[in-house]
Amino acid sequence: MSSQDFIHQSGGLDSKSRNSKSIWRMIHIDPPLLVGISLLCGFGLFVLYSASGGDVPVVRRQALTMAVGLVVMFIVAQFNVHLFRQWAPIMYAAGLGLLGLVLVVGVEANGAKSWLDLPGLPSFQPSELMKFVVPMLMAWYLASRPLPPRFKHLFWSAVMILVPAALIIIQNDTGTAIMVTMSGIFVVLLAGIRWRIVIAGFIALLLASPAWFLFLAQEHQKNRILTFFNPYRDPTGAGYNIIQSQIAIGSGGIYGKGWGEGAQSHLDFIPESNTDFILAVLAEEFGLLGVLFLICMYLFVLVRGCYIAYAANDTFSRLLAGSITLTFFFYVFVNMAMVSGLLPVIGLPLPLMSRGGTSVVTLFIGFGLLMSIQAHEHGHSL
Amino acid sequence: MTEKWQLKDHEAERELFSSRLVVASVFVVLLFTALIIKLVNLQVSQYEYFSARSDGNRLHSQYVPPARGLIFDNRGQLLADNQPIFNLTVVREQVGDLNETLDYLDTLIDLSDDEREQFSNRLRRNRVPFSSVPIRYVLSEEDKSKIAVNSFKLPGVAIEPQFVRQYPLKDLAAHSVGYVSEINRGELDSFDDEERENYGGTNHIGKTGIERTYEDLLHGTVGYEIVEKNNRGQVMRRLDRTDPVAGKNISLYLDSQLQIVAEEALGNYRGAVVAIDPNTGGILAMVSKPGFDPNLFVTGISNKNYSVLVTDEINTPLFDRSTNPYPPGSTIKPFLGLGGLHHGLVDYEFTIEDPGYFRLPGVRYRWGDYTLRTAIGGGHGHTNLQKAIYQSCDTFFYDLGNRMGIDTMHGFMAQFGFGENFAVDINHARTGVLPSREWKRATRGEPWYPGDTINSSIGQGYMWATPLQLATAASIMANKGKVIQPRMLKAIDGEPYQPEILDPVSDVVVNDPDYWRYIEESMSMVVHRAYNDVFREYGTAYEAIAMEDREMPYRMAGKSGSAQVVGISQEILQSDDIQVSDPNKDHALFISYAPAENPKIKPQIAIAVFVENGEHGSSVAGPIAKRITDAYLLDILQIDFATLDSPGDELFALADE
Repeated sequence: MSSQDFIHQSGGLDSKSRNSKSIWRMIHIDPPLLVGISLLCGFGLFVLYSASGGDVPVVRRQALTMAVGLVVMFIVAQFNVHLFRQWAPIMYAAGLGLLGLVLVVGVEANGAKSWLDLPGLPSFQPSELMKFVVPMLMAWYLASRPLPPRFKHLFWSAVMILVPAALIIIQNDTGTAIMVTMSGIFVVLLAGIRWRIVIAGFIALLLASPAWFLFLAQEHQKNRILTFFNPYRDPTGAGYNIIQSQIAIGSGGIYGKGWGEGAQSHLDFIPESNTDFILAVLAEEFGLLGVLFLICMYLFVLVRGCYIAYAANDTFSRLLAGSITLTFFFYVFVNMAMVSGLLPVIGLPLPLMSRGGTSVVTLFIGFGLLMSIQAHEHGHSL
Repeated sequence: MTEKWQLKDHEAERELFSSRLVVASVFVVLLFTALIIKLVNLQVSQYEYFSARSDGNRLHSQYVPPARGLIFDNRGQLLADNQPIFNLTVVREQVGDLNETLDYLDTLIDLSDDEREQFSNRLRRNRVPFSSVPIRYVLSEEDKSKIAVNSFKLPGVAIEPQFVRQYPLKDLAAHSVGYVSEINRGELDSFDDEERENYGGTNHIGKTGIERTYEDLLHGTVGYEIVEKNNRGQVMRRLDRTDPVAGKNISLYLDSQLQIVAEEALGNYRGAVVAIDPNTGGILAMVSKPGFDPNLFVTGISNKNYSVLVTDEINTPLFDRSTNPYPPGSTIKPFLGLGGLHHGLVDYEFTIEDPGYFRLPGVRYRWGDYTLRTAIGGGHGHTNLQKAIYQSCDTFFYDLGNRMGIDTMHGFMAQFGFGENFAVDINHARTGVLPSREWKRATRGEPWYPGDTINSSIGQGYMWATPLQLATAASIMANKGKVIQPRMLKAIDGEPYQPEILDPVSDVVVNDPDYWRYIEESMSMVVHRAYNDVFREYGTAYEAIAMEDREMPYRMAGKSGSAQVVGISQEILQSDDIQVSDPNKDHALFISYAPAENPKIKPQIAIAVFVENGEHGSSVAGPIAKRITDAYLLDILQIDFATLDSPGDELFALADE
């Protein structure tokens, strides 16, 4: 329903302001997406100000990161998406090379050895690049194959997804590995993989999970799972985060305690209140209405992303746009679900709300790709 | 290669993609719906619960302990004060790994095993969750800064100021004022709910002496405070406060100056002194030596210090000699003599011929006269009651006691507080033993023998009395039978205090009030009757008291006593070959009151002196009583006896103050 509405709306915008539209077209920017992103950024900074306890430098740095992100998005949007298609295999190969390099000369931060500090370049995480390089490669690979994909192609797809994912897991960065894997899987799903394969895979995953839990899972991962089922098995240890975050959310009620009035966050009961658990701060201070408002804004961006994917002219663009949009959703949902206790705790930030650096820029690269698809596709068709 | 040539159906692919996008959208909507349901559950359905949990996180009701009432002596000198100290405290709930934290603290401020053990004991007690438990009292400045600098590594550990008891006079009056110390498990268990609440913020409770007796007055009422704490337990805001009500300040009759004199007068002896103002019953001095420093107990005495105090079997510093019983010896003779007069067993003319021993009819055993054991041969000869008192003739009292019988003796002596605790507010005082037939049957399962009466009539045998009881009896004697029960508490918050005595003791009434004068004269002769030509006609304490101070401006009524500690035969004691070891030597006792026989001023002080293994009542205990009496009458009350003796009634009133 809402997506239909949106299409009408943007259609209306098309007809009413041709001039301004053509200006946006010229600079390859999609105005609705830009508005949605900007709103989220603004709200994010607003919440961060409170979550950080009024720490202006923190907010300023985050704003700066977002500005850098916008610039990067703008630059990415200027390239025709088909350029990315041509370069996808090379970027993928380079990405793998960098991941390999990380294993050798990587720098460790926060328990993950995922940073690369090359001379002449700002330090960055190659694993972040893979978040859009993997779906790009998948889209490139499957778009030139008949769809729905054959089993043989699925097999190679799996290899292409799992090799970088494995390299990232070796870096001890499970969260990113999951995101990279999901971004690739979304392409496969959107490409029309047969449902019976999906269901079979899902069942296989379900059956394998106990084995994983028993034999492969690390102690902290097991703890997270167990804590998810009963946070009170260790209320001051492993369960502390989720208990305190639920208290924050629950005590926010419908209307919230007011901006800057969140006792849970301001008295430091919520750990990671600036990053992974920022939703708890928002929910405490702005209540259920605040969270619904945030979900609406995310939906706005998601609907626009889906529309861009839907409206794209070629399979590569469609798959890429769809994967980027769904990955974005996955991000949002996993974080919100983990903070509210619907999923085990996985260290993933809330897009555009959580404080962060590289991952924010990666998000904007994704948005830039969406804009490139939207602007160039239509420019082509016009 | 064939695949390349396979026709791609673009329209079908678009359809396929679109349908997948729709499925994905459905999933998106479903998942968001699940999320919203979860949020509604948290924020709407469970709002009350989580709201309370959130308040529970940050809001802490904490007790505000009341300031303990101060204890003053009768001249406003502080006996028990409150001093601010800084404690290192731990909130168990906020400490992750307790042992790790303790180990880390150890590296900072060297925790002893003792401290760790005491801390874990405190933790084990009933306590309010999230309350702080002291691990070390009295942090030094250096330790304080070490903790402060590293506080970020020590969640749940805090430095808290606290007022604790301080006894500025240290071991002076340690037994009678007592001390406070940490509340123990047993005391906590004995509390009812209201008391437990009232002691919620209090670490200390009165353990002995006045501190214990007047615990209710001194403690006050607990206050409350609602504070907001962050997750490290730091107090961020105070939201509400009910002020505590401080304990009452109390004043005692105790005179620290006299107390000091009494302590000094006892010198290096083990013993006790109790001094009472007969007019008020107020305890002016109450000394037990050796003493101990009560401050040690306040902040948790170390095992080492404690074992020093309890393992000393001879000095037993913690033992309160002033309220524990000893054989009173000859000090009971004036009372027994008064009983003889009252019951018509003797009169002023009655005399005996003292051969130096007493024999029950038909019994071969001779009760020797202890007072004669160092003298050469014979008895006191021609002896009336007066001489029997000032010469302390045992034989006279053996005979009197024998004729009086234990029942009459018990009945008469009980009126002076023997066998009972007359003190209003010295609950820990023992009652001693005033033996009777019933008592012996109940405790020994034996009948009373006539010989028991003989022993009792000179304050030996089963007869036991505390120095407090002896001073009380002397005070009643000084008041000519009027009983004003001894007491410590003089005023509460400056208001004079009159205790409600539920079971008041009636006055001692004798058939002829002149008996009082007669006994006072006899007791006065103990101190003042000088040597003369007649064999054994001087007072036993004359040489040590009146002869020492020929200028003595007042008369003092006294009675000495020497109490046998163990049954050592006369031959051994008199032999020069055998040294009697110190703990086996007799106890020296002396009771007195003064001024005596003064038409213008009533007795102002009654004293009992007990010197453990002091041997000689008159020469060891007597001068101690004299020195205390001098200090009180001449230095503290500053009675000018010279002026008093000259005519003029207006001075009388002055002195009586």
